Amino acid sequence: MTTTSESTQPRSALHDAVTARGLRKTYGRGETAVEALRGIDLAFPAGEFTAIMGPSGSGKSTLMHCLAGLDTADAGTITVGGTELTGLADKALTELRRDRVGFVFQAFNLVPTLTARANITLPVTLAGGKVDEEWFGQLAATLGLQDRLDHKPHELSGGQQQRVAVARALLTRPAVVFADEPTGNLDSRSGSEVLGMLRRSSREMGQSIIMVTHDPVAASYADRVVLLADGRLAGSITDPTVETVLAALAKVEG
Amino acid sequence: MLQIALSQLKMHAGRFVAIVLAVLLAVGFLSATLMVNASTTASLVASVGQDYARADLVVSPPAEGAHLSEADAAAVARTSGVAESYAEQQLQIQAKVGETTIGGLIRNLPPSERLEPVALTSGSWPTKTGQVAVDAKTAAARALTIGSSLELLPSGASSSAHEATATVTGIMAASTDPQQSWAAQFAAPADTLSSLAGGQAVYSSITVAIAPGADGATVASALDAAVHQAPGSVMTPSQKTVATIKSFTGGSDRLTIILLAFAAVALLVAGLVVANTFSVLIAQRTRELALLRCIGASRRQIRASVVVEAVVTGLVASVLGVAVAVGVVALVVALLAQNPRYQYATLAVPASSIALGLAVGTLLTVLAALLPARAATRVSPLAALRPSDEPSLRRVAGRVRLATGVVLAALGAVGLGIGAAKGNLLLAIPAGAVSFIGIVLAAALFVPRLVAAAGLLAAPAGVPARMAAVNAVRNPRRTTATASALVIGVTLVTMMMTGAATAQTALSSSLDRHFPVDMAVNGTGGVPFTAQQLADVRALSGVEASAVLTPVGSVQTHSTPRAAYAPVYAISASDAAAVIQSPADRPAPGGIVLPRGATATPPAVSPGPGASGSVDPRSASLAGTAGTATDLPALVLPGTLQARPGQLPQQVWIAVDPKLDGSAVATLRTQVAQALGVQESEVSGAAIEKATFTQVIDTLLLVVTGLLAVAVLIALIGVANTLSLSVLERTRENSLLRALGLTRGQLRGMLALEAVLVAGVAAVIGTALGILYGWLGAQSALGTFATVTAVIPWAQVVAVIVVAAAAGLGASVLPARRAARLSPVAGLAIE
Repeated sequence: MTTTSESTQPRSALHDAVTARGLRKTYGRGETAVEALRGIDLAFPAGEFTAIMGPSGSGKSTLMHCLAGLDTADAGTITVGGTELTGLADKALTELRRDRVGFVFQAFNLVPTLTARANITLPVTLAGGKVDEEWFGQLAATLGLQDRLDHKPHELSGGQQQRVAVARALLTRPAVVFADEPTGNLDSRSGSEVLGMLRRSSREMGQSIIMVTHDPVAASYADRVVLLADGRLAGSITDPTVETVLAALAKVEG
Repeated sequence: MLQIALSQLKMHAGRFVAIVLAVLLAVGFLSATLMVNASTTASLVASVGQDYARADLVVSPPAEGAHLSEADAAAVARTSGVAESYAEQQLQIQAKVGETTIGGLIRNLPPSERLEPVALTSGSWPTKTGQVAVDAKTAAARALTIGSSLELLPSGASSSAHEATATVTGIMAASTDPQQSWAAQFAAPADTLSSLAGGQAVYSSITVAIAPGADGATVASALDAAVHQAPGSVMTPSQKTVATIKSFTGGSDRLTIILLAFAAVALLVAGLVVANTFSVLIAQRTRELALLRCIGASRRQIRASVVVEAVVTGLVASVLGVAVAVGVVALVVALLAQNPRYQYATLAVPASSIALGLAVGTLLTVLAALLPARAATRVSPLAALRPSDEPSLRRVAGRVRLATGVVLAALGAVGLGIGAAKGNLLLAIPAGAVSFIGIVLAAALFVPRLVAAAGLLAAPAGVPARMAAVNAVRNPRRTTATASALVIGVTLVTMMMTGAATAQTALSSSLDRHFPVDMAVNGTGGVPFTAQQLADVRALSGVEASAVLTPVGSVQTHSTPRAAYAPVYAISASDAAAVIQSPADRPAPGGIVLPRGATATPPAVSPGPGASGSVDPRSASLAGTAGTATDLPALVLPGTLQARPGQLPQQVWIAVDPKLDGSAVATLRTQVAQALGVQESEVSGAAIEKATFTQVIDTLLLVVTGLLAVAVLIALIGVANTLSLSVLERTRENSLLRALGLTRGQLRGMLALEAVLVAGVAAVIGTALGILYGWLGAQSALGTFATVTAVIPWAQVVAVIVVAAAAGLGASVLPARRAARLSPVAGLAIE
């Protein structure tokens, strides 16, 4: 277990999938104001699988929303794949999400009226692009979805639905995949399947992944865990295990 | 995005049913209106055109009401290229068959059958004086067969009348031309007509068959020259038919305009239902839309997806609507054609009615979906990340919209008030429309509050009732839109009912000022009624009293604004008391009663304008008093003046049993006309006018209510739809309630109450508005010539409210069943 402060410092953006500098975000105003982020400086190296952890209200979800361009920060700058997000208009943000970012959510990941195949290729069809059939086949094979491609989401198990979501996130070879509690709704076996899949895509395909979770088991699949508390960085763990994560969390919460 | 839109439609086809139904009904209405208009014209072409169908060219008189002369007929016959011509002369006659006299038309026969418009069904065409052909319908009605004899005499026969006895030699098919089909039709050789009419023959038209090889246009212009007329009076049969129809379908065009106005109301209501349904559909899909936004769908793509859904739904609904319209109109025409009187009924489906129906229906759906589509683009991508977020559209209606509504309502109300006070319908109608639009726009201000207030009444019924009241206003915008659609329909229906009832009462009182008696019959100049005829009239049931008025002369009156001659009649005091309603209209000894508002100082009674004779010296000493009715002749007691009637006919005045209804009065009118041997048109009076307009108003009301019912029906579909979507939305919540111990029955009752609250409040608001509009409308229309008091047809109004609330209840049945079927666990598991 090594708790370093250097690795949390921003490095050259060229090697980083996502960087954040001086990030601040406040909800509400006056007495009810909640400072969700109080100055965050973070870099997520390309090809790394990072887990963001922290107690409830630590700001981890807000951080991810801001990094993904779903929410805007009050101060600070964010880059995704070398592109500065600050000040981008809705159209540019939409295109960025479509082309450079992948998403896997806890639930309600898929459009219920479309088949698994249509769901996976949706970002490409939205962009009016052409599906890379070879890559698609490889992803489907890796994720074990070949037989389920023509099924509607409600005909798939929870684990299969999440794997479809992972396939969709990976299809565009985005600069980064954001995963928000991707195993929150799954039993532990399906959960470990999905997490294993994420780790493989990071190790074997060099995919950068940022995952928000409160589950130490899920976090142990990551290359690095970043801890948040009260809207500030509270340390990080490289090559985490369930034990080191639990210990670090206990320290932060204590 | 096309893919997404289409998969939406396929997966959730059920959710679009309401939109399809609403648009279907409105489009069907619009298309059917256009088809009815076209079919009416086509039917008229088939019937009116019959006269000319066998001709090549038709020569018409230079103007409406003018005639062609014998010289014209000769000139036409001489024109080169004319093989044959038929100058048609038509006379109004009376035919005496046994003891009865019937009104009819007689025409001369063409030179040969080549130009004969109708077919002979039996016997042979008459060839000699004293022979006549009669139409099959009349022959059947009057038991005329070949060899029967009858007497023909010109209408309005004077002493110089030439009566002719004729024998029926042939029965011909009855003409379907509406200008002739009302009458008994006779055909006879030309000399029979000239002996009936006397003098030179005048022709209503000359039909021409052109010689083989002659050019139609050349012959037409040669004919123009021959009859010394401007080009254009010689037409082909189809041109002539179109021109004839134009001259008398002014009324049918107005009917089309009125029908189109109702179609517009139906379209408006359908638009509201569509917009509302789309809002709900989008609210339900918030998370899905947010997900799409997350993974990179642009706002434009989201909007496009909703619009594609609207286009497809609108198009499908419009196609169905047009198909239904064609079906219904075809069915009506087929049924009409079964009736021998309307066998000429022809179905016409103009391309415009189909194209317009499709275009308007699709456009309406797309336009109505635009606002909801904009709401869809406002969905934030973050909404996808809130797992338990309830989709909601809880946005207060725009302040601009509310302010506009209030201003329009106020301005309209002022205009309507002025219009009603001044009796100015041209101001009142647009002002009323503006105020109503304002009220609908501002409905968000008061509808949710009224629904909530009504909900308080339900509170004592327990927790489910209280929850229903809260649920009914949970989404104020949706509640408002749903209720507004119903308010529009109910307001219009109630307005028509109140307006009709008020107008009926007002007209009734104003008619009494026009007509002094229930029924007055004009006799024939110089021919007094026989004692037998008068006894027959008195014997009729429904006649309470009758009196004969003897003509005395004419009096010059100075009624404003101009002087006029009023006929003077003598009536005995006892007769006057029996038949004249107002004592002020009964003559007194030494006095003369003049029409309402007329003065004559001194009264100068002479045989009348155009007749020889001087003023009766005794008339100057009469005291003239004005009566209460405008249609009153001047009246004196018998013996007051010397009778010098000039050309004035006798009159018979009749007091009618006030309990008779419209059709009984119409029957009595026919009986009276028959008994006295006059045309029905000579029988007039307050009872007849009342019967006529009561019948007209009742028929109009029935038709209008039926038409507006379509709008109400569409609105009720909206209520059912809103509720079923709310149920879908609250699946988890309802399951939770069931898990916590709410029974199935209670859940169903809760949803039913919610529907009844919205529908009931909408019905009450609509009724209140409708009564107000109906009264003010009647005041504006009739205020200038009648005293208008608001008359509220309570029975009908209560029926409307009950029907609307009951329909709301009915609308809740299906959604409530679906909600109640769900097991508590299954509902909670639904993500």
